[in-house]
Order: sequence, then structure tokens, then C-alpha cells
Amino acid sequence: MDAPTVTLRVPPLADHVTLLRTVVSGIAARRDYTLEQVDDLRMAVEEAAVLLLRHGDGTPLELHATVRPEELHVELSTDITGPDPVVDPTSFSWMILQALTDDLSTTVDGGRARLTLVKQREQPTSFEGRG
Amino acid sequence: MKTSYTRDDTKDLFAQLRDTGDPQVRATLAHLHLPLVEYLAKRFRDRGEPLDDLIQVGSVGLLKAIDRFDLERGVEFSTYATPTIVGELKRYFRDKGWAIRVPRRLQELSLRLNKVVATLTQQLGHSPTVAEIAKYAGVSEEDVLEALESGQAYSTTSLDAPSGSEEDDSPLRLDRIGEDDVALDNLEYFASLAPLIAELPERERTILFLRFFRGMTQSRIADHVGISQMHVSRLLTRILEFLRRGMDNGDASF
Repeated sequence: MDAPTVTLRVPPLADHVTLLRTVVSGIAARRDYTLEQVDDLRMAVEEAAVLLLRHGDGTPLELHATVRPEELHVELSTDITGPDPVVDPTSFSWMILQALTDDLSTTVDGGRARLTLVKQREQPTSFEGRG
Repeated sequence: MKTSYTRDDTKDLFAQLRDTGDPQVRATLAHLHLPLVEYLAKRFRDRGEPLDDLIQVGSVGLLKAIDRFDLERGVEFSTYATPTIVGELKRYFRDKGWAIRVPRRLQELSLRLNKVVATLTQQLGHSPTVAEIAKYAGVSEEDVLEALESGQAYSTTSLDAPSGSEEDDSPLRLDRIGEDDVALDNLEYFASLAPLIAELPERERTILFLRFFRGMTQSRIADHVGISQMHVSRLLTRILEFLRRGMDNGDASF
């Protein structure tokens, strides 16, 4: 069976970045990610969305969050006008995204820019079973 | 006067600290002046923060004052330390200023969770999950998420204020990690960002460096800098917002 995916499409406005952020935090929190990991994802989604907004051509931002057993796969995309990726691997943004995620990629295909963020789940010892 | 013996003690201890740099002496001095911190912290008690947290914040100011106090100045240590401690407390409240209207219920929950997170992190040895926080605090996971999100709704204005005279931004515990210059050098590699980063107060610059260049976790940074993990989280969010806005105003890319 395919991993469950949550999809969200929002207008290309900074106001809506909060929504993308909240949705991803919500998914991660309910998948028992630790607070710091949830926070990392929140910041990473924000950074990625801002990059796409900056380079986008005004089409909506799309979010696909795929929930896999041990990782959360978040793809953000929008149409852009130029041929270049929205983030340069030598930039500060890239460094931030790298620090916040376990895996990261950026592609441009047919005018569509995609940023993919992967966050693995730590296995915290939970209170369950302790009664 | 009853305090006179403390004064002499204090002078001796400072002389000793200057000569030996013994951390034990520093700790004794800190212990000796904790009542001053408590006294000053109580003046901020009616602002809705737990007194314990205020004392912890004030203690950071006390340590700063101990490290900077110069016997030759001929002033009493308590006179010298008071503005530093009060400054630290004021900065704490300024950092926490709610930017948008957040319901009181959420403000209170957010403040409470701050403590719960610290306790759980200690107990579990790792950052807790939202489920763990909810269970411990006796609230729903939705409430926790909502409080955490609202906890980010802080003013960003203080980062816009020029650092300098009013801002007491000398290194906090950089002596312990000894990398303030390294931090700046590394960050300056990103030439377009350098002017913006230079505007950040020392503490924020350190946090930025430790998180994104050293890959240090928020909890570890919190230990280093002497503030809570959730406070680190808020500062990181604000730092990134500040840099983004700064870049948007210029023409360079981030």
C-alpha cells in the first residue's frame, strides 16, 4: 500500500506559509516526532516556502507530505520562470535547510521547482508501558 | 551592620578570583549574592512568569557581573551587579513580548509547557514528543500544539533595534566554548549576510552559529547559553525572520 500523503495547495502569499508550517508540524507531532524535530520541520518548511515564493511566478504553492513509517517526506513546489533551482547549494539557506533536515533536494523540471525535505523519526523511549 | 562581614568576604573572594580564576570561588560568590538576585527577581513577579524562572534569568546577570567586576573601581559589588541583573531580567521580558494578541489561556499554557519541556528533557534524556508533553501536563495534544504555535508569536522588533550602548551584549558564556570570533568568521563567509549578522546581538549570533554551523541541538544550545530550549527555539525563529527580512530589503540572495 502507498504511504499516506497529505496535500495542501495555498495562494502564493506569505500569510499562507503559516498554514503549510502548521500542517507539517501537526503531522510530525502526531507521528511522535520529538519537540525539537517538530521545530526543525517547522523552520525548514518556512524557509523552503519563502524560497519558492521568492522565485515563483505567482502560481499556488503546493505541499505534499508523505508519511512513511520511519520518515516524513515533505515536498514543496511551485512554477518558476527561470531554469535555475530556487536555492544554491553554497547559500546560507541551503545550509539552514541541511541543518534542519536529514535529506534535502532541489529540482527544476518543466518550469516546476521542487524542494524536498526528509526528516527521520528518532525513537524516543516513551512513557507508555510505565503505567 | 550585618552585611559588613559579607562585604569583606566578597572583597577577599574577588581578590582570590582575580588571582586564581578558581571556578569554586566564582560559585561561592554567586551563592553569596543569590539573595540579591531573589530580591530583584521579585520586583518582576507580577508579570506572569514563575519566580524560579526569573531567579534563573537573574543569576545569569549575576554571573556576568561577577566576571566583569573590577575591585579597583571602589564600588560595592551589589551596586555594580544590580543594573546587570535587572538588565538581564528586562531583556528576558523583552524577548518574550507577545507580538500578536494571544489568548491568556494559551500564554499561560505556553509558559507552563516551557517548564514541562525542561523537566521531561531532563528525565528522558531527549527532547520530548508532543504526546509525552500532553500526558505530563494533563492537556490534549491539540492544546500543546496550539500553545507551541502561539509561543512563536513573539515580537521581532527587538532584533531590529541597533545593538550597542543600551544593549548589553557582551559574550555570555562564550568563555566556556571560546568561539565567538570563529562564529563571526564563519558566518561572514556568506558575504551578503555579514552586515545583517553583525547587527545581531552576540547571544543571537552564537545561537545561530551553534545551531546551523555546529549542528548543535536546541537543548544543548540552551545549556550553553543558560536559557530554556523553548527560548532558544523562539530566538532561532526570530533570527531567521530577521535575516529574511533583511535580505528582502536588499537585492542579494540569501
